[in-house]
Formats: sequence, structure tokens, C-alpha cells
Amino acid sequence: MKISLNWLKRIVKIPDEVSDSELIRLIGARLVEVEGVIDETHKYDNIYVVKVEHAEHIPDTHLTLCQINTGKTELVQVVCGAPNVREGMLAVWIAPGATVPASVHEDAPFVIGRRKMRGFDSNGMLAGADELDFGDDHSGIVEIDPNEAQPGDLLADVLELNDLVFEIENKSLTHRPDCFGMIGFAREVAGILGLPFDTTSSMVGDDYLKLSHTGRSGKKVLAGNLLDAVRNIRVKNSSQNMMLQKEQRSDVLSINISNSNICQRYTAVVLEKHGEIRKKYLTWTDTVLSKSGMKPISPIVDVTNYLMLLTGQPLHAFDYDKFVAVGGGKQATINVRLARNGEKLVLLDDKEIELNENDIVICSNDVPVALAGAMGGKSTAIAEDTGNIIIESATFSLYNLRKTQMAHGIFTEAITRFTKGQSPYQTLAVAGECVDLLASGYRVVSVEDNYAELNQRVVVKITAEEINGLLGTKYDSELIARTLLNVGFEVVRLKSGLKITVPEWRTDIHIKEDIIEEVGRLLGYDIIEPTLPLHGTAEKNSMWVLKKTLRALMAKLGANEVLTYSFVSGRLLERAGLDTANSYKIVNSISPELQYVRQSIVPCLLEKAYMNQKLPVDRFAIYEMNKVYRKEDGLGSEQVPVERVSMGFVLAERKNKDTAYYKAKKYVERVFSEFGIVPDFMPISNNYTEARSYDKNRAAEIWVKGEYVGVVGEFKNSVRNEFKLSQYLAGFEIDLDKLMKYMSGKMSVDLSEREKRDLTIATSDTYGKLVKKINEALEQNNAEAEIKPIGIYQPKEADKKNISVHLEFTKYNEGIMQILEKL
Amino acid sequence: MVAYVAKFDDLEYNILYMVEFERLKQELKKINAEAGKIRELPVEERAEFGRKVNEKRREIMAKMEEVEKALLDAEIEPIDVTAWSGVNEPMPEFYPVEMGSMHPLMTELDRVCDIYQLMGFDIEESRQLDDEYHMFDTLNFPKEHPARDGYDTFRTEEGFIPPAHTSTMQHRVLKKYKNRLGDGKSIAVVVPGRVFRNEDVDATHEHTFYQCEGVYVSEDCTMGQMLGILREFFENYYEQKLNIRTQPGYFPFTEPSLEFMIEKPKSLGGKKGDYLEMLGCGMIHPNVLEAVGIDARKYHGFAWGGGIDRLVMLKYGLPDVRYFESGNLNFLRKFN
Repeated sequence: MKISLNWLKRIVKIPDEVSDSELIRLIGARLVEVEGVIDETHKYDNIYVVKVEHAEHIPDTHLTLCQINTGKTELVQVVCGAPNVREGMLAVWIAPGATVPASVHEDAPFVIGRRKMRGFDSNGMLAGADELDFGDDHSGIVEIDPNEAQPGDLLADVLELNDLVFEIENKSLTHRPDCFGMIGFAREVAGILGLPFDTTSSMVGDDYLKLSHTGRSGKKVLAGNLLDAVRNIRVKNSSQNMMLQKEQRSDVLSINISNSNICQRYTAVVLEKHGEIRKKYLTWTDTVLSKSGMKPISPIVDVTNYLMLLTGQPLHAFDYDKFVAVGGGKQATINVRLARNGEKLVLLDDKEIELNENDIVICSNDVPVALAGAMGGKSTAIAEDTGNIIIESATFSLYNLRKTQMAHGIFTEAITRFTKGQSPYQTLAVAGECVDLLASGYRVVSVEDNYAELNQRVVVKITAEEINGLLGTKYDSELIARTLLNVGFEVVRLKSGLKITVPEWRTDIHIKEDIIEEVGRLLGYDIIEPTLPLHGTAEKNSMWVLKKTLRALMAKLGANEVLTYSFVSGRLLERAGLDTANSYKIVNSISPELQYVRQSIVPCLLEKAYMNQKLPVDRFAIYEMNKVYRKEDGLGSEQVPVERVSMGFVLAERKNKDTAYYKAKKYVERVFSEFGIVPDFMPISNNYTEARSYDKNRAAEIWVKGEYVGVVGEFKNSVRNEFKLSQYLAGFEIDLDKLMKYMSGKMSVDLSEREKRDLTIATSDTYGKLVKKINEALEQNNAEAEIKPIGIYQPKEADKKNISVHLEFTKYNEGIMQILEKL
Repeated sequence: MVAYVAKFDDLEYNILYMVEFERLKQELKKINAEAGKIRELPVEERAEFGRKVNEKRREIMAKMEEVEKALLDAEIEPIDVTAWSGVNEPMPEFYPVEMGSMHPLMTELDRVCDIYQLMGFDIEESRQLDDEYHMFDTLNFPKEHPARDGYDTFRTEEGFIPPAHTSTMQHRVLKKYKNRLGDGKSIAVVVPGRVFRNEDVDATHEHTFYQCEGVYVSEDCTMGQMLGILREFFENYYEQKLNIRTQPGYFPFTEPSLEFMIEKPKSLGGKKGDYLEMLGCGMIHPNVLEAVGIDARKYHGFAWGGGIDRLVMLKYGLPDVRYFESGNLNFLRKFN
């Protein structure tokens, strides 16, 4: 949302001592983040209002040779190509050396100079609306109202163009529909400056918002009460007001709302055309529309857009006669209902959309003519030849509109406001204001205002102690009351505290905490004194400590910690030999690359291994500790997927010809020994998901105390091929919850002297079996030793291999070595 | 496909794979020969015939691919998985410490948690797959409320949500620690974790990033205490005194809600008046407390949550958030 500071200053008087930068700081600190400030203070430099004194057509061209009065004694000669240039008019002159305003934000701003056209000197240019950055109109030059300006006036002074435009972050105002109108925004600015703001009298000249209170009783205004409603339409022109009451007709318009949940209030006014609203002059309204990010389109649309920017209440105009014709009746019968699946509607932008049963539609009888809150329909659009019109001022269910917005991708200024939940209290008043602004061309024929019961104004009782207790402040109740009064709350001071009545436009305030927020915010959170509650240190989280220990260990062992995405492609799962059906699938993924929640870490590491091998990095060990989810694990007690904390590891080298398995295994053993665990390495079964990528002849399951905790090994050839990795490749994946379960903090240290012996045995057993045999022999002979491997050697053409180990005896006896050597 | 290969797994004979492969080759030949008959058919039947033949062809080729894979996998020589090294191979060694590194995000997250832990906060890690109930319902987001859109959440087919904020854990930690209140103590927990947003990725936006949440509840806690704790944390983290600032924010689960800023520390090249938005915070909404069964008239709380990635980027002067999940060792090994 864009906020023009000059417009803001028209509505709230900013004290001189508050500089613009201080104001921006205060808005940021007490209302909403100002994301950016567009500086337009020099955008209109050297651009003047001038009078065309002489205009002479240059033969055989579309050009006119003009002599213009720029406020100085000498006239200036300009060649103008616009068809509407004429003697006597006030135009806008971009003087030589000035920059065309529409181009100031471009890479190469266009600077106007002096030049010759068809042999005539042309000094500067007479500007069209598009060149001045007020919309797209390129049909001619703009004309200035002679009642507003004189030749030689700076355009910027006439139209208040030396301005700062604030860019406001919408998201932080999701709950503040009132701030999406200039009045509401200005009220807040007054509040944070500690100034009173009289919502009911300060606005557009009159007390139009007073009217918003008419619906307070919540009574239904139907046909019988119509005149009451009409009286509330304030029309400046009193003769018209009289006429209106006399001529109020009940046979031109009726409104039916099928369900008050989708539309809380629908106000409509039928206007009859009595004259042409000719748009002749560039006005201040045109410039604020542009500064607010919209653009002038046509007199009726401009009025509705302007009022939306001012009040936050979007309006829509229908062509009355088309409306009646589409519905096939004699009068306009407005039906507000939910669409039926498959109904179609062509919108103003010529797109045909298929409606669904969540969309709210405005119908003429039963024929949809507008997508409520989002966009009008083509069939009832205002056109050049439009005579009578209907002005709609209504509120719709923000929940439905939110879905409509998503379903049809419509993000108009109107729906942005509706989805914040506009208050239903001001529909009639804003419609009245619209009638006023169109009075030169239209008069009221009929007014209908249909609503179910409106909510009572919220009353909250609170004490200064409660407010100070939560904020940590010492505000007295007078300051609190004044602060709230400034922004339209009604405050009664009782003995027991404050009775606060919330204004209608604050749809977000219901409970004490909401009031506390108002007080804290308006007076400034930045003046609250920070304090510290007393507290000891907390206990450590053991999984967090475990991971921290592992990270330090792995870095010491030359491994690199990586982080990879939790989402993977189906293809990645397949390449790793995993089943996509076991992964939770994201329905709104960014791309197919990120479609599944991962089941294990290692496949992601294999992908990164390929990337690193290509860099190239000759050798590396990468690992990640993170969470994984599998459908096979089902749901936990909270009915959410069971979670595993998994550590994945992959090592890869481009040149090594050895068996990669043993290096990976060495890492596994070191990881477990850090926590005092000696795991067993068992043959691969087919039972565990993460083991599916591994080759069953060159991988092992890791078991601790009879429980499976992970897998280590080399990958299947097919998997290695899929990932285009070199031969030397292995990895592991372990369940950290299980590692934690078996870890022991105890470290055994034996400082005694040891007998040390080396032993080599020729065998065809596995190393594991041999160790088992050695241990059995030691036990039978009352000896104890720690066994450390030295190497495995197999001479060419021998059928047995020689396994060498190093023994460190903690219990030694003579003769044990002879026994062992015979094994 | 896995099932198809599994039939052979136990047989252990490459020869069987080869026989199967040969059989499939013959079958494919037969089909190709049959395909030639298409010219003899009436024109209107050709399309259907062609479709059927192609389907069969694809089927067989897929099977052949599987068998080929199996053949490839069967070529591997078995090893002694209980041993320490291969036969006639040197003993394997760890890579040298100079090659090792820790991920900067994890290092900083550790540091963040250490500081909070010393300030008295328990640590609970956030989930990475959660549900609507924890992500929104228990946090006072009205059903279907537009505020839910602001989080650009992903969803699984079952409706589970990879959380878009660590606040998804608020309800759980309040529940887990609420007994402490009865003992006259306070609840003080921080929740580090990985979160996800469905948004376009560029140098400053990632769909996957880390946050740290804080939750504090006691009988007499105030917003002043919240500001005090946050300032204390950042002063510890940057090891210097800091100026702080706030601005109003909006979160359905806190009331009042604020954005918390610090003046950019000198160590990061900050100048006076240069403020950094660090996190969102506020007093916990009574509905959030009541949803856990904590009496919101008696107890109050505050909570905050902020991103870790940006903290780390600032600290190391990193230009691109995408480095973190790149897995690129040229980047990661700088953090030795």
C-alpha cells in the first residue's frame, strides 16, 4: 500500500517539530513498517502551469506552433503535437532541462531540451497525463483549471506534488482493515503523535462518518424503512436532497442476500443521469490516485477508486440498464448468492472464468454479473454511452473471498481490502459520499440497504494495573484514557477501572490483551524499560549434546558437515533404490525436484557427492544429521508422522583402489566408541529401508545389544552408476535416537602395564569369527586381552589368508601365545 | 520393480539373470516382428494396434533394464564385512583434520542455544513434518483465516504440513512444561529447527531455512522482561552493548505483537541508526495458553521467533543464502 504524505497531512495536522524522518520512524515504531519511501520532492522540478497565448497550425503536419505565457514578460515558443491544444487554455510546460516525470525512475531519465521541429524552434514541451506520470492517457495535453492556477505557477505547488510516498508492508496490517483507508491511517498517525482525531467531522469536508452509526441498533432496514435510510444519505445539494425524498421510488431496485454469512451488508444506490460529467481538467484526485498506485480511468471509476483509497470501503458501479436487461426483468433485482459449480462469468478484463461453489456472485435475478469483492462483469460494465448506474457498497465474507482470490488469481486493490474484513458500518455512508461526488451528472432515484443484524460494539473493562502488569510500565489511567480517546475509543472511567467501547471500524478488538496492545503500541513499545527475570541455567538437551559431540568428532576426523533439502525428487528416491510410495508427497511442491519428504539422508549425500566429485574434490567424507519421515513408520501419539533423527554419511574418492567399505566402517566404529559402544556388524537382511541402496555382499547392518541401529557399506553398482560416482564409495546411516539409547558416559581407563604380543594366523574364517575364537581361547585359559588389527595378507595362489592382530594383555599367562598360534 | 528383482535375489546365480535377459531379448524381437503386421490391418484399427505394441515393448524394455541392473549388482565380489581392512590392503585411515569442517548454520545454532541454555532456557528441537492443528489451530489462527496464507505452507497428500515456523512447537512445549507453573516456576524453552516456505528462491530467499523460537510463561512476566531477555541474548551473541528498537507487528498467536530490531553491531560494519530486523515477538495470546489448559488470567507469557540464516550471513558476510544447502565443499571447507 502506498501512502502520500501530502494527502496524509491534509487529514491530520502534523506538528512542525515532527520532521518527516521522525514521522517515518514513529510510524515504524508504533504502527507499521515503512518498507520504503519514494522521494518525489524533485520529480516535478521546472514544470510550470502556462497559458497558451497563440496557437497556429503548421501546414501539412499535425503540429501546432504555440506561444506560451510562462509568467514572465516574454512569450516562449513551443511546438505541440496534441490535437487539443488551443489558444487561451492553461497547459503544463516541461521547461528545457527538466526531466519527464514518467521517466524519472527509468535507467535513462528523459531530459527535455530545445530543438528544431520542421524548422521551428521548440523550447521544452507541453505535457500529456502519461508524461506527467498520471495514468496512461496519451490522447492530448492536460489542461489546468484557471480557477486553481496562474501562468508561471509551479505545477508541484498547484497540485501538492512535492511529496514523499510511503510504501507500507500490507502483511503487518492483515488485522487492520481500517488502516487500508487514508482516514484510518491518518487516525492512527494522530494517535501515535498523541493528538486527538475527530473521525466524525474532519474528513472530506463534512461529517459523513457520523452516518456509519446508523446501523448500530442492528435492526433490519427493509423496504418499509427505506426512507429512514435515504435520510441518512447526505447530499450537499439541498434541492436535490428534497427531490430525492419526493421521488424515492420503490420499483427500481431490490436486494436479496441468500445468506448473511456471505454478505453482511449490501447497500446500493440507483443514480439517474441528468448531465454529462465532462472531465476537463487535471485534478488533485488524479494525482493521488496515481501516487497511491492506481490510475485515472473515467469519472465514475475514479470516484469509486478515490473513495476506496480514502475510506477502505471498495465500491463498484454497474450500468443500470444493462443490469436490468441481463436479468430480464423490469427493475434491478440484486441477488447475492454463492455460485453454482460450473457457472461461467466474463469479467471486466474479458477473461471468462468458471465459478465454483465458494465464489460469491452478484446476480441480476439469477444471472451472475459480478464476482463479488473481486471484479465486475463485462455484461454490466460502465461504457461511454452508459446512462443510469448502480453504486454498490457492500461487505463480503473474507473467508470466501480469500478462496476466490486463490482460485481465480485475482489480486485487485478491492479484494485486498475485503480480505482484511472491512467493517459493515460504513457502507451506506460511503455510498452517500459517492452520490455527492457524482452530483454534477447524476441524481439519486433509489437507495436500498440490506443487512442482517450487525454486531454490537464491543465493550472491554480493564484496569491500569492490568495494562501495566503485562507491559511492565507505569501509565496512569488518565494517560491511558486519553490515548484511546484520540483514536476513537469511548472511555468511561469507573471506580473499578476503565470501561472502553470499541469503535465500529476496529473489527480486530475483542479482549483485554487487544486493548493492552493499543495502549502499548500508541505510546510506544520503545519507551518500555527492558528488565531481566531471574533465572538459573537450564538442563541440557541430550540429543542436542549428542549432535554437538558428533559434529566436533567428525570435524576432527576430516569429515564435512553438509545440509541438504528435506524434499527430494521421486527420481532421486528411485535412483537410490527406494520406494516413492514410502515417502510423504508434497501436493504443492515448488518443482518435481522437491516433491517428496525424504526417507533417509544418504541419497541426498550421494547427489552432493557427485557434484563435489565434479568440482573436482578428489576425496571427501560428507555427513548430515537431520530428520526423516517414512510412511511405513505410521503416525505417533499426536497423529503426526513418526520422526527419526538420522545421521547419513558418504565418503568418496576418485583414485583409491582399496575397499571403501573398511574406511566407512572405521568411521562407524569411531562414532560408536565416542559413546562407549562396540557395535556388531551383521549380514544385510532385507528388512530396513535405508539399507536398500547397499550391496548385500559389501555392506553390514549395525547392531547394538540385539537391536538394529543402522547400516554401513558400499552401494549397489546400479546405485553408484545412477549417481555417476567413482568406484571408491561407501556410506552409513544410523538412527541417532538409538545411539543415544545405548550411549554411556563412562570411560574405562586402565593404567596398568600390559604384555604386548603380535599374532598372525592363517585362516579362511572371517575376521569376526577369528576374533571370536581368540576370545574363547583367552577365556578358557584365564587370560584377557584387547585385540587390535594389524593387517590381512594373502600370498598369491594361497587358499588361506594371514590375519595379523596385536594383543595387549590385561591378564596374561605363560603359554597362552602357543595356544593362540595353533588356532 | 523392486519386487521383480527380488525374485532373483536369493538365487545368486548370474547365469539366471543372463538367461532371463536372453529370453526378454527374444520376446522383444517377436514383438518387433509382429509390429510389422500393422500394414495388413484396416486403417481404423492401426492406431489401437500400434498403441498396444508400444505398450508391450515398453514393458519388456523396462524389465530388461531391471535385469541389467541386477546383473550389474551381481558382479560385485563379496568381502568380509567384519574385518578392518581388505585382503592385502593397507589399514584404512581417517581423513586428516585439515579436511574437516562444521556447517556454519549448525555452529551458530549451537551458539544461540548455548546462550539461551545458560540464561535458563530448555532446548526442544522442532519437528519437520507437522499438522494444521499445531501449525495454526492451537496458535489462534481462525479456520480458513487469510493470515494462514501469509505462511506459504507446503502440504502433503494427507494434509500434513512441513512447518513454516518453529511456533508449530509452542503448543507442545507449553503442554510438556506446564506442570512447572504449579511448582511456582516458569516455563522457559527455546525451539531451534528447520522450517519451510513455498516461495521462489533467490540470493536472500530459501524455501528451507532455520529458525529459533522462544517461549516464556510465568505468573508475573511483562513485555519489559521480554525486551530484556532479547537484548541480553543479542548482547551476548555479538559480545557488545546494543541499542534495540521495536515496531508493531501482527501474529494471531501473540497480543500485543512486535518486530524486534537491534542496531547493527560494529563488528558487522554497522553505523549509528542502522537497524536490523531480527525477529517477531509478543505476549502470548490468552487463547494459546487456554488451549493448553493454562489459566490465562493467572499466567502470562511471551514468545519470539527469528531466522538463523540471516544471522549467519551477516556474521560471515555471505552474499547468498543458497550456499547453505548447496553441499559445495569449496564453500563448506572454509569453515574448518
